[in-house]
Amino acid sequence: MRFNFVFGLFLVSVVVLAALLAGLLAPFHPIMDADLMSSELPPGAPHWMGTDAQGRDVLSRILYGARVSLMVGVVSQIINSTIGAALGISAGYFGGVWDDFVNGLTNVMLAIPSLVFALAIMAVLGPGLPSLLIALGLTNWSWTCRIARGSTLSLKSQSFVLAAKAAGFSDWNIMRTQILPNIVGPLLVIGTLGIGSAVLAEAALSFLGIGIRPPTPSWGNMLTDARELLRTAPWAAIFPGLAIFVTVLGFNLLGDGLRDMLDPHMRTRRE
Amino acid sequence: MLNRLSLAAALTLATALASATSALAQADTPQPGGKLVFVAPYGGSITSLDITATPHAQDEIVAKAMNASLYSWNADTNQPELELAESVEKSADGKTYTYKLRDATFHNGAKLTADDVIYSYNRLGDPKRALPGAEQILRIAGAAEYQAGTADSISGLKKIDDRTVEITMTDINDPGWQLMSNFAPIYSKDYPEDQLASKPNGLGPFKLANYVPGAKVELEKFDGYYEEGKPYLDRLDIMLMEEAAARDVAFRNGEIDVNVLGPTQYAAYRAEPALAENLLEVAEVYTRNIGFNPKVEAFKDKRVRQAINYAIDKDLIVTKLLKDKAYPAVSWLPVSSPAFDKDARPYPFDPEKAKALLAEAGYADNLSFSVTAQPNESWGIPIVEAIIPMLARVGVTVTTDPVDGSVFSDKLLADDFQAYIWSNSSGPDPLHYLRCFHSKTPQSACNYVKFSNPEFDALLDQAGAEPDHDKQTALLKQANNMLQDEAPVWFFNYNKAVMGVQPWVHGLKPNSVELAIQDYQDVWIDDTAPASRRQ
Amino acid sequence: MMGFVLRRVLQMIPTILAVVLIIFFIFSVVPGSFLTSLMAEGRNMTNADVLAQMNAQFGLDDPIPVRLWNYVSGLLQFDLGISYRTREPVTSVLGPRLWPSVQLAIAAMTFAAAVGIPLGFMAALRPGSLFDSLTMVTAVSGLSVPEFWLGLLLMYVFALQLGWLPSFGYQENSLRHLVLPAIALGVSPMALLARTTRAGVLDVMNADFVRTARAKGVSEPRLVRAHITRNVLVLVLTTMGLQIGSLMGQAIVIEKLFSWPGIGSLLVDSVSVRDIPVVQGAVLVIVLWFLVINMLVDIAYALIDPRIKVA
Repeated sequence: MRFNFVFGLFLVSVVVLAALLAGLLAPFHPIMDADLMSSELPPGAPHWMGTDAQGRDVLSRILYGARVSLMVGVVSQIINSTIGAALGISAGYFGGVWDDFVNGLTNVMLAIPSLVFALAIMAVLGPGLPSLLIALGLTNWSWTCRIARGSTLSLKSQSFVLAAKAAGFSDWNIMRTQILPNIVGPLLVIGTLGIGSAVLAEAALSFLGIGIRPPTPSWGNMLTDARELLRTAPWAAIFPGLAIFVTVLGFNLLGDGLRDMLDPHMRTRRE
Repeated sequence: MLNRLSLAAALTLATALASATSALAQADTPQPGGKLVFVAPYGGSITSLDITATPHAQDEIVAKAMNASLYSWNADTNQPELELAESVEKSADGKTYTYKLRDATFHNGAKLTADDVIYSYNRLGDPKRALPGAEQILRIAGAAEYQAGTADSISGLKKIDDRTVEITMTDINDPGWQLMSNFAPIYSKDYPEDQLASKPNGLGPFKLANYVPGAKVELEKFDGYYEEGKPYLDRLDIMLMEEAAARDVAFRNGEIDVNVLGPTQYAAYRAEPALAENLLEVAEVYTRNIGFNPKVEAFKDKRVRQAINYAIDKDLIVTKLLKDKAYPAVSWLPVSSPAFDKDARPYPFDPEKAKALLAEAGYADNLSFSVTAQPNESWGIPIVEAIIPMLARVGVTVTTDPVDGSVFSDKLLADDFQAYIWSNSSGPDPLHYLRCFHSKTPQSACNYVKFSNPEFDALLDQAGAEPDHDKQTALLKQANNMLQDEAPVWFFNYNKAVMGVQPWVHGLKPNSVELAIQDYQDVWIDDTAPASRRQ
Repeated sequence: MMGFVLRRVLQMIPTILAVVLIIFFIFSVVPGSFLTSLMAEGRNMTNADVLAQMNAQFGLDDPIPVRLWNYVSGLLQFDLGISYRTREPVTSVLGPRLWPSVQLAIAAMTFAAAVGIPLGFMAALRPGSLFDSLTMVTAVSGLSVPEFWLGLLLMYVFALQLGWLPSFGYQENSLRHLVLPAIALGVSPMALLARTTRAGVLDVMNADFVRTARAKGVSEPRLVRAHITRNVLVLVLTTMGLQIGSLMGQAIVIEKLFSWPGIGSLLVDSVSVRDIPVVQGAVLVIVLWFLVINMLVDIAYALIDPRIKVA
């Protein structure tokens, strides 16, 4: 299904553009342009998505919120991918005690649900963007690690790796130049899907009261703040909800599409 | 005493009953039978069925059905009154009280005796048990010594006969203020203590039928309750529901009989005639405020503290953000307090004056501070979000320090904050709650802003020793007004508590101490209740 | 077979120990304490002496290694400690929460399987069709909605507007109370199952033995019954097992929203008041659930598919 890839890419591009151009596109300041006199206004000029309880422009907050939500998604996933790839490749490559250790660690990470783990880490670090990046970045790398390890195991005995070894390349160099490029595809797929989950996780943590530090807008805290307005000012809740939905859908479709393009067989197998 | 009573009563009646509901006005003859589905909204669970083990309002909502204390709070007269005693005699020095106990029965069939009272208070004060309710009995003579471990029991408690008990206090203030606390109930001395959390045994109108931790407490009528003909209800379910949006759906759907409302829902319910006519409102004794830590150099300057009070348009916040579910605050004591000065006015919104004061103090555009806040919609992060742009307009930069409840108090106790926003009890006893600003009160007790003003201290000391009630009130009023001028905090609002009530429910009271805590024995439901409540 | 089971049980022990250590250390550096949570309401002041006594009673004054030692040695005797909050043994705090949690996980999975598997099957029988595309986009959408948002919408529609179902809460032996939270929780595993089933069926249909059967003229319905179903079963079962194993931990948000008295809401409540023994106990239950379910899946796997060696 090429459609997945194209449509997913389109949605993601829209969101990324919105985030990058928030400063230009947003008609109002997302924090300081708060006028309680114009709170909970329905959509219409000049507030095209209405205003929230604080009288802030919902559209502007969604645009700026895209920065935060994307940052949370992308950065935390980069951390996850890096940890997962590093542990997985090295475990598969070296084997032995290190492999056992990494395997054990992965089992532990799999056993503690990532939301539970993130909740615990957020309790220690307190709300805020850096804590969120750490909490979500440290808790979701087990699948990446397993896949990286599995692929490395099968690549290790391939002729080009053996040749590199014979030619005296260092282990580090082999892992970096021979193995990593060959497993970048599957990692990219997992990473793309992971970004979506991280955006959702941000919303869930906001709901539990430990997300981004207000008044900085993120879609999660916008949605959480507006959940009681569902009846009186639904726009304040519906638009951030849609923003999350569209973004996560975009990343999921993109990930699916990537997977279909990179490896038509992979979609059927789970590690 | 009488004056205090009538003033307090008049004020509550004015503020609360003015807008009271038809559910109250319709004071028909109570009908017995049926079930009430009440709600405990301050958490998804309760701590314990043994109220002496917890300090939380959430637990009090449940405990109130099962237990009784020596005194109780009369929500109509706004006064503590005798509950488990028929009469009391006060000694000449005003410190020793002799109570004639009621003929009352515990759920397990045991009769209330003087020993039970003595046992219950000694148990609360027992240092080995470390019970939060200990706070309530500290004014009994000898309690402090017992708690400190220098005495074997509380010396101020004496049994005269089985039904008579004598209590000696350390000062001349009414013991009812503390002994009415739901956290200081009377337990049976012969009841095994390890059963209290699972099979509670109290003197209250309802006994436990079924407890599903994290979901609900089901209670049934206690036939041996000491008030004749009460309780009216056969059954009482208390649902533990924290999520406001979910509570709203459940209430509209008729699954619960009451709903404690936040600002958003208050506005929504007022806009719908069917719901609007069944709102129970009361001015509660909580003062919402932003406390300034004098550790921040600028906050040592009274002008800066006043400037912040001028710079924030609190009326606007109260109207728009809190949807009028609050009364703009004047000073510390709330409108229902006997020492509240009806002629005093809140700080007006005057950004120019604020700028001038800040400039005078040398902080024209270089003051910035962070406000430590919990997520609460009425006294937490959203309020700080609203003052950020307002204070920005007078050149003050505010940031948020969002924390959960336990970190919040941790930071306060450790003096690790610049400012905090909070909701604090400010009544019903004005002397007790003004003492929070006495310089001798430690920061860890409740003088969180380390307020220290010799004149204020002197006024309070004088009031504490004043036997004449009117004179005491006048002194307290003076102290309260002084506090406004000193502005140790930003006076934000006094809570207006609002409860949505199903039309078939009667007998709920505008309890200014905490609206969610009701005298369940007086509640009844009429014929219009759905079948699920009548079976 | 017994040996296989025994080995799997033994393998769980280091994982459990590691979880205990991790959670212990995280919560020994967490800011705030049970004692400070007592005064967060700004309503009642708890006496400083009482606080100090509690501190001593709960052993909060002890150094971390001592506390860890006490905890682990208790654990070895299946003693999870005493809850700070309720002052009861942690096991009696966890006990009543277990069944509601298990019920919710099973109900959510039942919903997911009942909807997801047939959808995936039907989509795979007509690959590339409009039905297929629609189903798959719906499935991906199911994975893209914030859970609490979905739960709220369900509440509004099915409880409030239509009045079909109760909006919240738990009642013993009541299926009606289970429906909305189960759907809200089940949508994301449903979407996963639909995708997995579809992919699995497509794979099997293209496998050699199916092509052979088809070429031999085996009728399409029989083909589906005899070959595809059996072969896809293993894949679906694995996915379901993994999902149901992690559902207990994922249910936190839904449990909070629907006032469901499960392990997840207990965990959140206990974290917020820093009732650390209960936090540790709740995480342990969630992890054990995951591990045990996975073990059962592996055993079932071995039973269904004799090609997998159990030795």
